[in-house]
Amino acid sequence: MIALRELLAQKFPLHEHLSSGTLPTGLDAFDQTEGGLRRGALTELAGSPGAGALFIEALLALLPREKCFAALVDGGRSFDAESGPPEALRRLLWVLCGTADLAVKAADLLLRDGNLPLIVVDLQPLPARELQRIPASTWHRFQRLVEESSTAFIVLTPRPMVEAAAVRIAIQNVWTLPAMCERRRTLLHRLRAQVFSRRNFAAVETLERRFA
Amino acid sequence: MFAVILLPQFRLQAALRLRAELCAQPVAIVDERSDKGVVLEGNEVAESSGVTTGMPSAQALARCENLTLLPRAIGQERVAQAALLEVACSLSPEVEATADGCCTIDLRMAKISDWPAWGAAVVERFAALELRARIGVGSNADLAFLAARRAAPVLVVQTPTVFLSQLAVTEIDPPPHLLALLRDWGVHTLGQLTSLPRGELASRLGPDADRLWKRAMGRTHRLLRLVRPVEEFVETFEFEQEIETTEPIFFILRRFLDQLARRLTGVHRVAAAMRLTLLLENRTTHERLFTIPAPTVDAEVLFRILRTHLDGLQLKQRPTGVWLQVDPARPDHQQLRLFESPLRDANRFGETLARLIALVGHGNVGVAEIADTHQPDRVRLAEPKFHELRAAAHTDAEENLAIGLPLRRYRPPLAAQVQVERHEPAYVVSDTAHGRVAGALGPYRISGGWWDRERWGTEEWDVEIAGNGLFRLSRQNEQWFIEGCYDAQLR
Repeated sequence: MIALRELLAQKFPLHEHLSSGTLPTGLDAFDQTEGGLRRGALTELAGSPGAGALFIEALLALLPREKCFAALVDGGRSFDAESGPPEALRRLLWVLCGTADLAVKAADLLLRDGNLPLIVVDLQPLPARELQRIPASTWHRFQRLVEESSTAFIVLTPRPMVEAAAVRIAIQNVWTLPAMCERRRTLLHRLRAQVFSRRNFAAVETLERRFA
Repeated sequence: MFAVILLPQFRLQAALRLRAELCAQPVAIVDERSDKGVVLEGNEVAESSGVTTGMPSAQALARCENLTLLPRAIGQERVAQAALLEVACSLSPEVEATADGCCTIDLRMAKISDWPAWGAAVVERFAALELRARIGVGSNADLAFLAARRAAPVLVVQTPTVFLSQLAVTEIDPPPHLLALLRDWGVHTLGQLTSLPRGELASRLGPDADRLWKRAMGRTHRLLRLVRPVEEFVETFEFEQEIETTEPIFFILRRFLDQLARRLTGVHRVAAAMRLTLLLENRTTHERLFTIPAPTVDAEVLFRILRTHLDGLQLKQRPTGVWLQVDPARPDHQQLRLFESPLRDANRFGETLARLIALVGHGNVGVAEIADTHQPDRVRLAEPKFHELRAAAHTDAEENLAIGLPLRRYRPPLAAQVQVERHEPAYVVSDTAHGRVAGALGPYRISGGWWDRERWGTEEWDVEIAGNGLFRLSRQNEQWFIEGCYDAQLR
């Protein structure tokens, strides 16, 4: 069966790309503009740790619904499995790293593997100094790898830093204590996300200056 | 018809099976248990130099100074015997393990019209396993055995009397006293023996002579001692000296897998698991079990799994031998959908998983399994089995119930100093967050294990620290910790 699938992929290389499409995230601002997470593209989500954790939750909810599998490269070893739905956890490969260097290497292995349709790399808890040491060429290499697959690849960062991202989501929410009493789904809808795709990257540069 | 498969010079073949580089040189197997190290078998190059069976090793070396003397490779003899029986059992259910390197097959129920072609195909199967076989086919087991000894490499006896008449009497192993007597009478061939009247021969020389006459006529019929096929797929090799690098191990493992894949294919099985054992110089072993996510006979895939493990392996002792066992399984005939399956290539995923484990360490990769306790962060990472996961009906119930922001844990929790006012945290001092508590939710008291030594208890608070963000505090035995962060303000 594997050999047949590979043969079909060789004979009809366009099929996978055409059928790859998008994965809806539940993040309204993002889904309305982009239709969801693009497969075969690198997406960057820049924002606070709370926004990142909410986004990961949204992606986890996606797994049982879409009957797919995902990998979470946990750069800061901060993911709280008890927060996620058990049904989704069974479909999630969790890789605990602890450093940016390990996270990048783990992401590289998973991208080259090509089995998982969704790979999330969480770099938000890592120190900025460590993240700055990741060469820009790494992201370009990842983008090239992703383009050849139907994987949706998301990198969570505290500030915009992935130049090669095809789509960038910037979230600027600041949460206060009352948020802890609200339903998570409501919080997700309240995320104020600005979405930039390659088409309007001039706006991204403006955003980068604002963050700087 | 009966067929006999004979692996000539069995002990030598077994020892040289994985050492093709020695085949062109004079090589002999010696019996290490004998005082003088008697030569058991020698290859053609050695025999052409005058080395013969039963010769002391010193004499053999005197006749052929380039002679390589090898001890018996018992492990590899077992492997070769197992391979012989596997092939034989795939040809007929009625197989006798006649001797080491020899088996007899009852093919009376088989509908084979072209026996030479059938024999040639069997010889080819052995050649693929790097074994040289001779096939003899005859109307009974003894006749087939005699044919196998003279086969080059296949001999089908159509007219037993003609075939037997040319053979020497010694071919049918007569008792020594009868052999001497027959020689004195001038009887050297089976044809000469069978020309003697049977009744008179039996009355003069006794029942042994009668049995010999019947064998010489090819009329014996004996029951085969049948063996059941044992599906044991093992390959083993012991190096002459300790190994310093992994390359020789890779080389041997690759050959093992090629052989095992062929043997599995021959019996319509696939590899479901592999057990690798490295024999170390201090007589201990390094063992590892590999479960194959999608059972296969693809030697390349199986080799990559082993290679990934060995690439990241560090041993304190040098290996002296390799032992590889494959657990066979029936091929999975599950009908998958053409463009959808749990994983595109489960074996490749297994390999990636092994690489990830080598990168971040065991216990840092897997699927989260939450322990059956209320104690926080009791999570263990288990091996993912995505390929076995069956899609369950999805419900949104749990998602709808989730409240508040998800936590980002600090592992381990960070120690903090907390000033308490009116039984609530009022000021937090720590390396991560420092400031006045603007609001707090809690306390959430949880405890457990009070019935045994693993007793635990904690008091949790969700707090907003002014200018820092939202955090979870915990108090255990009057010691405060920051368990994690819900949201932190970017600086």
